[in-house]
Amino acid sequence: MYDTETERAKAGSRPESAGLGSSAIIARGASKAYRLYDKPIHRLWDLILPGGPRGREFWAVRDVYLDIPQGATVGIIGENGAGKSTLLKLLTGITQPTTGVIETEGRIASLLELGAGFHPEFSGRENIRLNCSILGMSDEETEARFQEIVEFSELGEFIDRPVKTYSSGMHVRLGFSVATTVDPDILIIDEALSVGDEHFKGKCINRLNDFQEMGKTTLFVSHDMGSIKSMCKHVVLMHEGRILEQGTAETVADEYLRRAHTRGNERISAINRQTDAYPRWGSGEIETGGIELFADGNEPTNVFEPGSPFRVRVQFEAHDSCDEPVFGIGVYRSDGTYVNGSNHFWRREPIELGRVAKGTKGHVEMAFEKLPLLQGSYYLSVFVYDHGKAAPTPIDHREHAAAFEVLDANHLQHGLLFLPTRWSVHAEGAEPRISAE
Amino acid sequence: MIQLLGNLAQNRSLLRTFVARDLRARYVGSSLGFFWSVIYPIMNLAVYLLVFQVILKMTWGPDKSPQEVVLLMLVSIVAWTAFSEGISRSTNVLVDHQNLIQKVVFPSEVLPAFVVSSAMINMVVALPIVIGVLFYAMLNPSEDPAVIAAAAASGHRGVQIGAQLLWVPVLLVLQTIFTVGLGYFFATFNLYWRDTFHVMGVALTVWMFITPIFYPAQRMIDQGYSWMLEINPMHWLMEMYRDVFAANQAPDPELLVRFAIASVAALFLGATFFDRQRSRFPDLL
Repeated sequence: MYDTETERAKAGSRPESAGLGSSAIIARGASKAYRLYDKPIHRLWDLILPGGPRGREFWAVRDVYLDIPQGATVGIIGENGAGKSTLLKLLTGITQPTTGVIETEGRIASLLELGAGFHPEFSGRENIRLNCSILGMSDEETEARFQEIVEFSELGEFIDRPVKTYSSGMHVRLGFSVATTVDPDILIIDEALSVGDEHFKGKCINRLNDFQEMGKTTLFVSHDMGSIKSMCKHVVLMHEGRILEQGTAETVADEYLRRAHTRGNERISAINRQTDAYPRWGSGEIETGGIELFADGNEPTNVFEPGSPFRVRVQFEAHDSCDEPVFGIGVYRSDGTYVNGSNHFWRREPIELGRVAKGTKGHVEMAFEKLPLLQGSYYLSVFVYDHGKAAPTPIDHREHAAAFEVLDANHLQHGLLFLPTRWSVHAEGAEPRISAE
Repeated sequence: MIQLLGNLAQNRSLLRTFVARDLRARYVGSSLGFFWSVIYPIMNLAVYLLVFQVILKMTWGPDKSPQEVVLLMLVSIVAWTAFSEGISRSTNVLVDHQNLIQKVVFPSEVLPAFVVSSAMINMVVALPIVIGVLFYAMLNPSEDPAVIAAAAASGHRGVQIGAQLLWVPVLLVLQTIFTVGLGYFFATFNLYWRDTFHVMGVALTVWMFITPIFYPAQRMIDQGYSWMLEINPMHWLMEMYRDVFAANQAPDPELLVRFAIASVAALFLGATFFDRQRSRFPDLL
């Protein structure tokens, strides 16, 4: 079923007829330009004086052609500033396109910001009523759904307390409850689910699944490919205001990941140039230099995928002779979790360097075939210790010497480490089913 | 303008919710609650009485008793407070509620309308105190022989109460239309030039002092500034309120027509400007 929709979405790139038909949302060449002024007063001059327009145009969204069939769940993905939020504002009708047309069918509820319009001094109960009327519900409709909203939000006695006493999670819960209980035909969600505890997140996803089953249209915006992939079959990739690619989640995910690699590399290279800011200490006979990371081949990278080869190369130079130096590397997750630490000496087959003469140059490498880390940001600490003494003393200890990132398109496992699990299901009276990978 | 009023009528339940929320928000957490609507003008009156009557010894004419002066000032203070609060809050109301404009599809014409309505309701709540002073002044006419003699000579009847108070709702409606019209205009203008909000603070103070509120209009005429009164709709309104409240006189028909025209013109101007620019609001915030 979905394939035909995909075909239609592609064919819909240049629709000819004007009717919406079975589409929930159609955009034809929709573009949005903002005018940026060097000085705020120029905006006023533009309003009242001739000789304009002043300021520069900035096209946040350009030439968007979309045809979203009723009942589809579509993900919009792109980096920060790709025009996702502006596109959503256009689709919801909050702002009008500068050029082009956008047509929608049915009531739209947008979760661009949960609880927009909550008043901090009033109780949750009063804010529900207020928010319902902001979302365009009549008093009768509000009454009919009131109890359901209260129950779904799970606020308990807090429902009668002022919203200013709520935690951000409670705030989101109330906002989500209201927005999804108004029974929209089209639901638009802008990374709203990123807050809230796991239990409530589960409830939200259940409710979104109910929406899909009821044949309602859902638009889901995120820059997290993982959540998009789990929710949507059809994905639209945006870049610099344009639709770069649209199609099935798998095809778009590959393109997205390829871009994320390049972008991540640029960003992390910039970070790695600033690692001098982190603590470094030691007696200094040996100094470590450039640190390079490799996936495969000899092209340094800072972005990896789980299961890809991983190799760290650390340059060093001895400014003075020293006995038994040992190089080590520590791997940390960005939150400081110590993932692993190793050196070339404490091994079944240790490498003993003995005396290293003054002026020696070279590099050490630490590698493994399959990187077991899952998606996240990590950093390395690099150290040289003098093992010639009873207790090793630091020669060159560098905290946070290099950063890298792991991107995961497949999200087969969650958490910190990929474990080579083996699964089997044994139903009585049937052959056991086994998954080795 | 017609379309905007139609939208307002359509969203009246939302407007009602907002006004109720605003009135309650004013006093949530304060121990005196709604009494502040009454206390506030009295405090203001006390301050201005101290400055203008006790320190500056402003004379209002030989035929006016102190009770009448208090009444004249109180009426004007109450009306001016509602007007200036409505305007200054309207000016920033779109910015204050940018969340609603940028994050949901929201009928933004509700916003200036609700702050002005809220200010006007606040004024109505304070009116009983005006009526109270009115009764007091009528039941305790001046016993100063000089005032009695002057009043007899000029034919001034002193404080009267009567059926002309029925004009008050008409004046209230006209004041609301005038305030809302200006409110729509400045709310929109403020998006193009954010300094409007600050300028309005100063402008309203200047406007207050060039409108005869704390002194009789005659003082301005004597000083050769009668043209200022001629072009100041708020002066026309104040005169009418004073006639109705203090003298039991119907408003001067000329002033009434002039103010009605000014009100409709203000609403037309404000609503048209607001309506023309509203599609750009989300981009301007």
